[in-house]
Amino acid sequence: MRSQLSALPVSGKIGLSLVVFWVVLAIIGPFITPYSASELVAYDVFESFSGKYWLGTDYLGRDVLSRLLDGARFTIFIPLAAAGLACATGTFIALFAAVSHRRTDETISRFMDALISIPSKIFALVMIAAFGSSVPILLTITAISYMPGSFRLARSLAVNVANMDFVTVARTRGESRVYLAVKEILPNIVHPMLADFGLRFVFVVLLLSSLSFLGLGVQPPQADLGSLVRENISGLAEGAPAVIVPAIAIATITIAVNLLIDSLRGGATYSAGSK
Amino acid sequence: MKVILRLIAQRIGVSLITLLIVSAVVFFIANLLPGDAAQEMLGQSATPEAVAELREAYGLNDPPPVRYAKWLGGLLTGDAGVSLANDRPVDALIGERLRKSLLLAGFTAVLAVPFAMVLGIVSAMYSGSRIDKAVNIFTLSMVAVPEFLLATILVLIFAVELNWLPSLSYIPRDATAYDYFRAFAMPVVTLCIVLSAQMARLTRAAVVEQLSQPYVEMALLKGATLSRAVLRHALPNAVGPIVNAIALSLSYLLGGVVIVEVIFNYPGVASLMVDAVTNRDMPLLQACAMLFCVGYLILVLIADISAIVANPKLRKGG
Amino acid sequence: MKPEYRFSDSRRAMLKAMGAAGLVTAASGLMVPGHVLAQTLENAQAQTPKYGGRIRVASTSVSTKDTLDPAKASLSTDYMRIYMLYSGLTQFNRELGADLSLAEVLESDDQQTWQITLRQGVTFHNGKSLTPQDVVYSLMRHKDPATTSRVAPIAAQFADAKVTGPNSLSLTLASPNADLPIILASSNFCIVAEGTTDFTRTANGTGPYTLAEFSPGVRTIARKNPDFFKPGRPYLDEIELVGIADESSRVNALLSGDIQMALALNPRSTKRVRRSGNCDVMQTESGLYTNLIMRQDVYPTNNPDFVLAIKYMMDRPLIKRALFRGYATIANDHPVPPSHRYYNADLPQRPYDLDRARYHLKKAGMTGARVPVFASPAAEGSTDMAALLQLAGIETDLKLGINRVPADGYWSNHWMKHPLGFGNINPRASLDELFSLFYKSDAPWNESGWQNPQFDQLLLAARGEGNEQVRKQMYGDMQTLIAEQCGVSIPVFLNIIDGYDKRIKGFYPIPTGGFMGYSFAEHVWLDA
Repeated sequence: MRSQLSALPVSGKIGLSLVVFWVVLAIIGPFITPYSASELVAYDVFESFSGKYWLGTDYLGRDVLSRLLDGARFTIFIPLAAAGLACATGTFIALFAAVSHRRTDETISRFMDALISIPSKIFALVMIAAFGSSVPILLTITAISYMPGSFRLARSLAVNVANMDFVTVARTRGESRVYLAVKEILPNIVHPMLADFGLRFVFVVLLLSSLSFLGLGVQPPQADLGSLVRENISGLAEGAPAVIVPAIAIATITIAVNLLIDSLRGGATYSAGSK
Repeated sequence: MKVILRLIAQRIGVSLITLLIVSAVVFFIANLLPGDAAQEMLGQSATPEAVAELREAYGLNDPPPVRYAKWLGGLLTGDAGVSLANDRPVDALIGERLRKSLLLAGFTAVLAVPFAMVLGIVSAMYSGSRIDKAVNIFTLSMVAVPEFLLATILVLIFAVELNWLPSLSYIPRDATAYDYFRAFAMPVVTLCIVLSAQMARLTRAAVVEQLSQPYVEMALLKGATLSRAVLRHALPNAVGPIVNAIALSLSYLLGGVVIVEVIFNYPGVASLMVDAVTNRDMPLLQACAMLFCVGYLILVLIADISAIVANPKLRKGG
Repeated sequence: MKPEYRFSDSRRAMLKAMGAAGLVTAASGLMVPGHVLAQTLENAQAQTPKYGGRIRVASTSVSTKDTLDPAKASLSTDYMRIYMLYSGLTQFNRELGADLSLAEVLESDDQQTWQITLRQGVTFHNGKSLTPQDVVYSLMRHKDPATTSRVAPIAAQFADAKVTGPNSLSLTLASPNADLPIILASSNFCIVAEGTTDFTRTANGTGPYTLAEFSPGVRTIARKNPDFFKPGRPYLDEIELVGIADESSRVNALLSGDIQMALALNPRSTKRVRRSGNCDVMQTESGLYTNLIMRQDVYPTNNPDFVLAIKYMMDRPLIKRALFRGYATIANDHPVPPSHRYYNADLPQRPYDLDRARYHLKKAGMTGARVPVFASPAAEGSTDMAALLQLAGIETDLKLGINRVPADGYWSNHWMKHPLGFGNINPRASLDELFSLFYKSDAPWNESGWQNPQFDQLLLAARGEGNEQVRKQMYGDMQTLIAEQCGVSIPVFLNIIDGYDKRIKGFYPIPTGGFMGYSFAEHVWLDA
């Protein structure tokens, strides 16, 4: 484990430390807020950085730092769980489809196509109108929205691999389907799927903030980072930290996750350019 | 060639089956919505009697399977029904908006796809180099900015401060090419940034994956140049995942652009569907959903066919 | 021209029983034709209106539900569209009264049978002359369920309307109602041509503008009506009406010059608009309010002490200052704003008093209790009000859990359905209409399910009362009843803030809504 860590390239170390930083912050954040995240502490709105309010105040005069500390957990854990769930189920259904009979494969693919063809925002809009907006519902909706996408990518990779000679050889050898899927195909598609996970994590973060734009995301007084950007957007013209800081926070989280994932597969990445 | 044509015919048949599944899924999801058009029509001022009467008039009292059958029957005979919110035929409502949506999608695709492909392939060819890292950071940061923030920043700079472009995307009557440019500049740039980052990253991943395969190494060892190895050997095999990524991204341009439509006040189909959800206008909602699905299926069909054409092994295997 | 009000014997008897003193003939100023009054006001502002020009104005929403049918108008954009294309018998003025518009005379001896004489020489956009038949049709169609009129409950009081001459008609109400002139000024009661049933594409009205383009959910373009019946009006050549749902986009569009008027801005945007130099904001003090509903038919909100405790927990100055940046008027738990002529100024203002709240909570046995409260962006400011109330709850040991639900579907699925939840009521010029719709025991939207026979009796009496002073007294008593006993708490009235390009002239507030009570089209001109 340690050797693996030290083997990480610089970008990976940066990514890893940022990810650790945000995860820790997401866990302890709600306990170390200087003010209550929902209390109106200042009369002036959109204040800039100050000794009293380190990150200024928001559109209602609440402390931005406190709201950021309180909101980070939604932006870390909902997307992490949703993207993980989406990629894992998508990949495994894809593997199953790739080694199954053509008819099974087709049925699954058609059904996934039907699901995927419904735009995620619209799907979320309808589901939230139907079931209300709560963290479990948001998690479920985002996971369902992105699973078919993962499936499609994984299946197209898996079918490609399944048509390669070494798999054909293994098949004629009489290996079981499970063996083919897990031992032969999975290792060959896991890297693109990791990249996919990174992107999907970002998508969920963005979908959540899009939903908050439409008034459907994490519901106030709680707010994920996207909601913080949204609710303070009118402060953008005056450059209020209330909108800029959460936006930067989102950027660092998503970039960190992707840097880390990119470098984890770094060993396997074929560096053609350096030849 | 004959084989390919048969495959295409097969795919179209399969797509039609998917559409049937979609129609059931769409109908099911739409019917999860609480409340109905009768209530929404009367809004805050709904009295139970008025709602009951309107519900009867809209035919909302039929059991769901009957309504589904009626709706599907209508669709098959080319009749998408009448909007409950304003009594106009659904296809007339959608028609005009669809033209607008396709226009926006078209401009965006023409810009975003080549841009993303070049970005992805170049960074894959020189993976690990400085170019690759720069592209990586660029695409990552672009993909990390919420769409509405990006759009608002553009509006603040180019419309409010500099006054170069209009903040609303209106196309005046008898518009010139310049008018089109002004109206579309900001929405298209916003969407390009959002989409090409994603496409570029997936393109890079797919090409890098192929470059690590032994056959490419063989080609390089035999003295092929890097660009030849990429273009002749790696790309054809990477086409499957790449066109898939493009299809997925472009399908976003029909139903996923609701935020851009809202911010630039651009009357496309996505905001029409949001309206339909709010008004519980089921005929319109279902028609829009079907439209997005058709759009997506067409893109996927094209992706599948290109993958088959590009990869001889798939051609044999079907 | 002032009407003589005569009262029947039974009316006298009833008033006596209620302790009302001498009867004075009302002086309501009703008979001054609207445009004369408005022009006088504008001339006082010293500039001569210019003609011509094209403006684009943005309201808050457009959807496929947009309509050209006055009966179906339900959102601000609809109201504006209707007032551009149609005219009513009367129209609102800046004092919340009604001036005559299509009607030349509107009078009644008993507030029950009204004689209406129409202005002569008025034509519809298609050239047809305005007749009393058109008016009878326009008023009575609201009673037909097939019309799905938004004002069907109000139109229910129209017992009969008949043509009495080539240019006159009479309207008989089910019971006397002195507010009829005000009721008729609402956009829903604008006049359409007799027999019109199809409103999907055309609008044949008598309004200041004619329809040039109508795309539901996109825009409406209206062109100057050269045959408009008010001489010299309107001023602009063309108005394009759009909807921009996102407030910050609306402000940006105004500042970048893409629109010339923007409806309903956020108080926090006013600084930016003012600083721009070429735009300004118009503040309209209105009767718009967001209220907390405490249902009177379920535990625990039916406990009068609980209701009082909540009313004392409303920190009105803080709500006004923090939530609305001062763009609000402190309210006193009843729906009549201080600017209204029937406002009861003698009723003491309820303070923010947590000691009294604790006392009442204890008396109700609710100390330490847990109660959910439902809020939604659909009811403007309600989520933030709920948050402030929650903080007051911590002080008084009442645990309020906030359930914030999306705006979509709020009115049909949540409003009035929970023991504790928020509502949002648009301003109404007629107190009779406001009280009949929301406070009477059998009101269709009796938000809290409040039953008070004394209130109902007063309301009926005031409706037929022609004497202004007596009416004021009656409405004052009703305000006291609501403030002290009804299960709603109204902390503040929200001021409506419109942004506009400074070249727009002739723009003044009319308290029934933003954009001059939505009727800006016939008043404004462009100084370009």
